[in-house]
Amino acid sequence: MGMRVTNEQAETAAAACVASVMERYGGAGIEATVEHHSNDFKMPFVRIHSPPQHWVALAKTLRFDLGANYCSMVTGTHFPEGGDDRGWDVVYHLMRQPVTDQKPHTNTVHVAEKLSGKDVPLEFEVLITLPQTDVPSVPSVQSIWVGADWNEKETWDLVGIKFEGHENMHRVLNPHDSPEGFHPLQKQHKIRYHDFNEMYDDAQGFGRKPTDEGRVK
Amino acid sequence: MAQMWITMGPQHPMTHGLWTLRVKVDGETVVDTDAELGYIHRGVEKIAEARDFTQITPYCDRLCYVSAMTWANSYIYAAEDLLEVDVPERAEYIRLISAECQRLASHLMWLGAYGPDIGSLTLMTWCMRDREMFLDLLQELGGSRMHYNYPRVGGVKRDIPVGFADRLIAKVKLFEKRIEEYEMMLDESTIWLVRLQGVGYAKAEDMVNAGVSGPNIRAAGVNYDVRWAHPYSVYDQVDWEPAVEKPTSVKGADCYDRYRVRMEEMRQSCRMILDAIEKIPGGKNTNYASGDAMILAKAPTRAPEGATGFSHYECTRGASQFYIKGGGDGRGKNPYRLSIRSPMFITIPYVAKTMIGYKVADIPAIMGSFDPCIGETDR
Repeated sequence: MGMRVTNEQAETAAAACVASVMERYGGAGIEATVEHHSNDFKMPFVRIHSPPQHWVALAKTLRFDLGANYCSMVTGTHFPEGGDDRGWDVVYHLMRQPVTDQKPHTNTVHVAEKLSGKDVPLEFEVLITLPQTDVPSVPSVQSIWVGADWNEKETWDLVGIKFEGHENMHRVLNPHDSPEGFHPLQKQHKIRYHDFNEMYDDAQGFGRKPTDEGRVK
Repeated sequence: MAQMWITMGPQHPMTHGLWTLRVKVDGETVVDTDAELGYIHRGVEKIAEARDFTQITPYCDRLCYVSAMTWANSYIYAAEDLLEVDVPERAEYIRLISAECQRLASHLMWLGAYGPDIGSLTLMTWCMRDREMFLDLLQELGGSRMHYNYPRVGGVKRDIPVGFADRLIAKVKLFEKRIEEYEMMLDESTIWLVRLQGVGYAKAEDMVNAGVSGPNIRAAGVNYDVRWAHPYSVYDQVDWEPAVEKPTSVKGADCYDRYRVRMEEMRQSCRMILDAIEKIPGGKNTNYASGDAMILAKAPTRAPEGATGFSHYECTRGASQFYIKGGGDGRGKNPYRLSIRSPMFITIPYVAKTMIGYKVADIPAIMGSFDPCIGETDR
């Protein structure tokens, strides 16, 4: 029969993590809360707001004390109209997974409902807000999670967030010879919606021009 | 002997798509590797910023052309988190069945492509034959053969057609016997064992640290699965258990373990489908009209600024995730930012590094065993 991590388990685990983070970093401007998804099972997760200068210390705590052993995704967002305090934000999604190396000819079969303590899978969402600037940058956590390596490369490539201390940064999805400063997910690069009539009149698209023509690309 | 760099790809049978593996060799031994991606980057994340929440689904279908249904579902769960929708249970069952049919089709595509990598063309023809059964079933739901555009925010587009349940059960039961045929052909084949066993070791903790997920982790001996760890849909109500292997070496799972875990996963998908079709609320032979409250809940079309949606999903190749920020163009009709986490994007650079120390001839065996798909990698 199927199984799943129950809300109570996740709730307890999330509350413990929030208490641990707040106890250690409460005075440093880091704020942790338990939030809930609004679909399906309303599962809880931990949301942490961190200023960029404390991010590496926080990341080490999450990785080595709270067991967030999996850096699953890094999302950068550009807010050109977000005011002086919020020009960019970077969101790290981390997971805690009860996975350990196995001895030969053995395996671990977890029963979801019986997991407890630091074995309960949990989701962490770390938000780092950056002020309005032309050169947004956050410290890299490449050395803490190997999985952060290519995620950070992608975020720099597409959004233009600089990751200080990231080794071997290069283009991954855009062509390697893209002009410096071209990061297509920044909001000054507009995407045009071709409406039905336009498609009809100019099916080949010869008459279309990008709206950011003439600007640095 | 002098070392030299060899470029494999972008057009190479090993790539299963379009990317470049640069290999530094010392004689026949691989001493360094470097992966280059991005050949089919389509900018789905940017395109999504100019589309409303329903219009994004077909783009997500095309993220992975082998596993369209799971990717569309994955997006839909994030959109439902953002728009705060509760989905009717019948729709959840239909999604589960469609996703598991897609998993069977995708794993068959993997096995079919892996066979020629190792030297067995028979496998390709057998797998294509069986995959067609599941593509036909999915075609009955979505209307087209590969890109279905089937799930909707709040449910599914159409109910299962009359007679679908009988055809599904017959085909799945037939396929359960076919899995045994595959195993008879492969498990004791000397060629298969020589090429797969003792090659491409990967340890569980290393993989988690590097961001590898899904069947590759379960092959290393831990039954971690998003379907129970970050639950969605009705996987807790149907009969199944995550496939898991017992790796034979301290060095972790080899290619053979990864092959075995996918075969076992296909068995579990069959078991799940057969159970779900019997338990489906409203009955397996009823057909509700499109838009009926049994299969589609009413959903808002706009999301306010500051709202976020996130989904965990066990895709066929690992954990896929979507992260959506609301409040884009059209007073929140479009997402402000949509971010996609593709399991293969993280896995391919990791796999490239695990090849170091093996022979050049092992490269297709190692790469294929991780089941790369470049559509989702490059987005």
